[in-house]
Amino acid sequence: MAIPVTIADDSLLSRKTVRKALPPEWDIELTEACNGKEALAAVAAGKADVLFLDLTMPELDGFGVLRELHDHHAKTVVIVISADIQPEARKLVESLGAFRFLHKPLQPDQLRQTLADLGLL
Amino acid sequence: MSLLLSELQRDALQELMNISMGQAANALARLIDAKITLSIPKIVVVGATEFQQMFLTDQYWFTRQSFLGSVKGEVLTLLARAGTETIGGLMDYALPLDDRSKEELLLELANILAGACLSGFSMQLALHAKLSMPTMFNAQLRQTESFRWSSTLLLEVEFQLEGTAFDSRIVICLEQQSIDVLIDKLNMLLED
Repeated sequence: MAIPVTIADDSLLSRKTVRKALPPEWDIELTEACNGKEALAAVAAGKADVLFLDLTMPELDGFGVLRELHDHHAKTVVIVISADIQPEARKLVESLGAFRFLHKPLQPDQLRQTLADLGLL
Repeated sequence: MSLLLSELQRDALQELMNISMGQAANALARLIDAKITLSIPKIVVVGATEFQQMFLTDQYWFTRQSFLGSVKGEVLTLLARAGTETIGGLMDYALPLDDRSKEELLLELANILAGACLSGFSMQLALHAKLSMPTMFNAQLRQTESFRWSSTLLLEVEFQLEGTAFDSRIVICLEQQSIDVLIDKLNMLLED
């Protein structure tokens, strides 16, 4: 059965980069979100068993999304894909329950490896 | 001038700036063990007058460095005067800073931030740009007249050192010919 996956990023280019990096054989149902609120709506609608999450977004940023999911013990597997790669950002993201912290520009190999590590492939 | 960017081009450029800026902030944050807040990059077309107005402030020190390669232009680094001592301390300079060590500090910071910004940016677009060493730039001495463009594309990012008064702005100024190169590369990125 197709896994519901959401890509949340305000940048169209970034969403495209993630989309293109997804392994073609991975059976998914893809949703795209342009901000944190849309990301949470996707989670609520059952469209995000896996969530690729940017940190700097309008409306509600990635940290806000993580906090919300954390508070509600959501089962979503969050993989943060961030341009802010400072050690502090990683620490905060991990403390909020994200499974992985990937750097932009996203490397397709790294994404595939991450999905394999998490048992998603 | 072919300076009108489409929404898609602007989005792509902004995202590339975001990533470059993230790399620059990380370079500095690791060096001084602090957290740096990043702003949303600004992309603006300015004329000569607006460009000169950027220097009508006594809040910043300025450095400038030029870059050459498949894109050409200049990088200005604005460094907040207010936070100079703080960041000097974090960078292990002896305080209070004397004129010489202050200049050394400012040039070092400009090199770290502007260097990482520009290299991140050009790498993502597969462009080559070699950056010269920064020099201090004194706007009061009317050196601004030495900038040769009448209008330019400015790419600006701002770094704020958390818990301090220190902030820095990196302004990348591109020449017309380079803007065309940049737009071509953005289009390539947006295709397929």
